[in-house]
Amino acid sequence: MAFNLLVNNLQYSVDVEPETPLLWVLRDSIGLTGTKYGCGIGQCGACTVLIDGVAVRSCQRQAERAIGARITTIEGLSADGTHPVQLAWKEFDVPQCGSCHSGQILAAVALLSKRPKPTDAEIDAQMTNACRCGTYHRIRQAIHRAATLRG
Amino acid sequence: MKTKAEMNDMNRREFLSTSAAVGGAMVLGFWVPPESAQAQAGAAADQAVRPEPWYRDAVVPEINAWLTIGPDDTVTIRISQVDLGTGVMTTNAMIVAEELQCDWSKVRSEYASANRDAIEKAPEWTLKVPGKGAHDPAGGGLPTELANEKGVYRRMGVGSSGNIREGRYYMQLAGAEARERLLLAAANELNVPVSELVAKDSVITHAKSNRKMTYGAIAAKAAQTPLPDPLKIKIKPPDQWKLMGTEQKNRDVPVKVTGAAKYAIDIRLPGMLYAAVKCCPVWGGDVKSYNFDAIKNRPGVHSVVRLPLDPKAKEALGRTTKDGFYSGGVAVIADSWWHAKTALDAMPIEWDRGPGGGVSSATLLQSHLATLHDAGKVIVNEGDVDAAMGHAAKLVEATYTVPYVRRARMEPGNATVLVTDNRVDMWVGDQQPQRSLEKAAMLTGLAKANVHLHLCYLGGGYGSSGNGPQAEHAVFIANAMRGRPVKTLWSREEDWGIGSTYSPLGLFTGKAALDAEGWPIAMDMHYCTTVGVAWPADSRGLAMPPYWVPNYRLHQHIARSHIPAGRVRSTGARHNTFYMESFIDELAHAAGKDPYEYRRELISRNPPENQENRFIGTGVGGFRYRDDWLRALDMVAKMSDWGKPLPEGWARGIAIDDRRRGVGRGTGRQGTICAEVHTVEVTKRGQVILHRVDVVFEQGFSLVNPLTVRKNIEGQIAWGFTDALYQEITIENGQGVEVNFDKYPVSRMREYPKEVNIAFLKTNKWIEGVGEEAIPTITPAIYNAVFKVTGKRIRSVPLKSHDLSWG
Repeated sequence: MAFNLLVNNLQYSVDVEPETPLLWVLRDSIGLTGTKYGCGIGQCGACTVLIDGVAVRSCQRQAERAIGARITTIEGLSADGTHPVQLAWKEFDVPQCGSCHSGQILAAVALLSKRPKPTDAEIDAQMTNACRCGTYHRIRQAIHRAATLRG
Repeated sequence: MKTKAEMNDMNRREFLSTSAAVGGAMVLGFWVPPESAQAQAGAAADQAVRPEPWYRDAVVPEINAWLTIGPDDTVTIRISQVDLGTGVMTTNAMIVAEELQCDWSKVRSEYASANRDAIEKAPEWTLKVPGKGAHDPAGGGLPTELANEKGVYRRMGVGSSGNIREGRYYMQLAGAEARERLLLAAANELNVPVSELVAKDSVITHAKSNRKMTYGAIAAKAAQTPLPDPLKIKIKPPDQWKLMGTEQKNRDVPVKVTGAAKYAIDIRLPGMLYAAVKCCPVWGGDVKSYNFDAIKNRPGVHSVVRLPLDPKAKEALGRTTKDGFYSGGVAVIADSWWHAKTALDAMPIEWDRGPGGGVSSATLLQSHLATLHDAGKVIVNEGDVDAAMGHAAKLVEATYTVPYVRRARMEPGNATVLVTDNRVDMWVGDQQPQRSLEKAAMLTGLAKANVHLHLCYLGGGYGSSGNGPQAEHAVFIANAMRGRPVKTLWSREEDWGIGSTYSPLGLFTGKAALDAEGWPIAMDMHYCTTVGVAWPADSRGLAMPPYWVPNYRLHQHIARSHIPAGRVRSTGARHNTFYMESFIDELAHAAGKDPYEYRRELISRNPPENQENRFIGTGVGGFRYRDDWLRALDMVAKMSDWGKPLPEGWARGIAIDDRRRGVGRGTGRQGTICAEVHTVEVTKRGQVILHRVDVVFEQGFSLVNPLTVRKNIEGQIAWGFTDALYQEITIENGQGVEVNFDKYPVSRMREYPKEVNIAFLKTNKWIEGVGEEAIPTITPAIYNAVFKVTGKRIRSVPLKSHDLSWG
C-alpha cells in the first residue's frame, strides 16, 4: 500500500505494508539511516525519532500511525550539525561508538522542548535511552549546556 | 546490475540517488537529499573523518603506507585499528602526526586496508621495537602480540586494550619515516644539508637562506625518495611530545551527531537484498527441518539459504569456519529486512537441539561446585599451606560465583557483502578485519588478495564485533547469491542468542588462615572457569596476589560445556578481581581492621621493589610495582575522603587491581593499576544507589590522549555498575534465556553516579592499556560498600538476585 509520510519537512511516498514499523520505513524505504535499530522491542531507544515533537521509539510505531504527523529524524534536526543539542554534544565530545546517539540527541531535544532548563532529576526521568559505552556523564553535561545555548 | 569496476568507481551522488530509489520510496517534489546536506556541512569545517571512513586508494602522493600528503598539505592518516568508540581515529592520528610534525588542523583519518595488509609485507623498519622495553621512556614499550603480525599495517585486530601498547612505536616510526623523507627530498631540492632544515607544522624551513617549502609542495618527491638507512629512525620520548599527551576531542564526533556516520548496518547498495537469520538457539544444535514453501509467497521474499552446523561444534570442540557454524540455521532473503525477518518468523522450523539441549546454568553450577572439592591442578604452591592452616587463630572460607554475561553492544551483528566470481566486497564493522578477510577467502574459495573489507563505524565492540560468525554468515549467504549484494542483519535476539560467545561462568573458593592479629598466614584458593573451547584458564590476579601471604596455593579447575566462551571486556579479571578483592575484604572484616589499611599493610609486607624479582620463590607477592600500588591506594583513599562520616545507609567500598598481574606468570607483563572507591547508598528496602566514584588510574610515562582515556573510564563505570547490579545470562534447555534488553538491562542515566572523580597516576613505565582496566574493581568495591551498610556479604553476581533490605 502506498501512502505519504512527512519526514523532516519533506513528503515521501512509501509503498509498504501499513503495519511496518516506522523504523524500517525510515531506514530501508526512505534511506534515512541515522535512526538506528537496537532491540526492536522499544527498550533501548536507539530508534528514537520525534513525532510531532514527542520522542517516540520508532521500532514500536506502525508506519500508518505516523501518517499526517510531523516526523523528525536526526538528519532533519539541522542542515549542518548546528542544533544547540548537537553543538553541546560536540563541545562535550559525548559519543563513543555513537550508535545510540541519534536517539539520545532526539530524546534530549524532546526533553528541552518541555523543560527548557531541566534539573538533574528531570534529566534522569526523561533520558531513558541505553548507552552501552556509558556516556551518561557527558550526556548530562551536554544537556545542561544545550539549555544555555538555546537561551 | 553494475559490474564490480563500475560499483567501485560509482561516485557518491550516484550511489545515493540509486539507493534512494531502490528502497521503494519516492520523494515528492523538489528536495535535497539529507546526506548531501550533511556532506556539505561536514566538508565545511570540522570533518576530520568522513561519514564513510573506509580506505581509499591514494590519489595524492603516498609517502608510506600510513599516510598521504595532498598539494594543499592535507595529510590523510590510515588508522590500522578499528574505532569501537575508543577514539583511535583520533589517538592514532596524533601519534603519526606528532612525528610527522605536520599541521594538525589539516590531518584527516581513514581506515587502513585489510586487503593491502594481506598482500603487502611490513617494511623492515617497523619490525623491531626500539628501546629497552617497558621502563625506557625513549622506547616502544612492551608489545606482546606482534609476533605473527607481519602485514604492512601490523596488528589490525582490536583487543586486550592493546592499541597503544602494541602499535605506538610503529605508528611513531611511520610518522618519523615520512618526516625524514620529506626533509631529505627538500634538502635535495634546496641543495642544502638535511641537518640545516627544520620541519614544523607542515613547513620545512632553511633558516640560513630564509627559504621555506610546504609538505604539499615536496610530497611527490618525498614519495620517490627512500631513506638510506630507515633502521636508524628514532622515536620521540614523552618529554619531547607536543601533540601526544594533549587532550584532543574525538574527530568522528561531528559525523556521529548528525546521523551521517555510516555504520555497517547503514550500507545500502544498488540491487541489495536483505537476509534475516535464525540458528538453533543451542550451540551445537542444528535445523531438523524447515518449510520454505509456507512463506515463499509472502511479500518480497526471494529465497532461503541453509547455514550448516560445523561438526566440531556439535562435539563442543569449537569450529573451523570452513565446515560451518556454532549452530546450524536458515536465512530468509527478501527485498527488505522487515520482509525477511517477518517471513522467517512465520516459517515453520524444527530444531535438533543437539547434545547441549538439556543443560541449564543451575546444573552447570552444581556440577562445577562439586569439582571445587577436588585438588584440581595446582598451579601455584608456595610455602607449606597445609602446615600453616594448622596454626590458624581463625579460618575464613568463602565461595563466590560469577554468571555468564555477554557484551550487549548496541549494533546487532551485520555485514553487507557482494561476492562475484573473482572478488569479495564486504562492508562491516569488525574488530578482527584480518581474520574476517581470511575467513571470507576460505568461504568463497577466492584468494585473500581479492577480498576487500570496507571498514565502517561500529556500534560497540567490547570484544566481539566481527570476530565471529557475523561476517561469516554474511559472506556465506552472499556467496550463495553471487552477483547481488546482500545485507545480513541479525535480530537482537539472534545477536544475543548464538551470535557470539559469552564471558564464562566462574566459581571460586578461598580458604585463609589468619594469625592472632588477623593477618593471613596461609591461603588455599580454588578457581573454576567454564572454558567452553579456546579460552585460556585465566589465572591473572590469583596466581600472584598483591597481598603478602607466606603460604599460598592455587588450584585450577576447568569445566567444559557446549557454550563457547569468549572475551568480554575485562576478560578474566572480571572474575578473578571480584574474587580476590572481595575475599581480602572479608579477611579485613574478620581481622577487625579497616579494609583500606588492611590492604595497605599486606601490600607493604611484600619485599621491596626489586627488578630482578618479578615473582619470588618464597611466599607470594614481592612485585616490581609495590610502591606504585601503595601510591594508588593512598591517593584514592585521600581523594574519596576515606574514613570521613557518611549519612546512614551510605558506605564506601574499596578495591585495587592492575588487570594483568599473573597473566602468564613470569612473563613480566606490566598491567595498569587502577584503584577505586565507590560511595554507595543502600536504602532500607534494599535499593542500591551509586553516588560517587573516585578512580585513580595509572598513566605510566604518559597517556597519548587523556581525554579519550577519561571518557573511556567514565563509560567503564557504567559498564561495571551494570555488571554488578543486573547482568546475568541464565542457561535453560541449553540456550541463553536473556536475549534482549527487557531481560538483560543495561544501566541508564538515572543510575549513573552524580560525582565521578578520575585522577591519573604517573609512574615510570609504559602501561598496558586503558580500555577495560577500570572495570574489574567496580563490582568488588560496590559489594564491599553494600556489606558495610547491610552486613550482607554478596558472593554471587549480580546484586539483583539478592535481598539487600536492612535495618
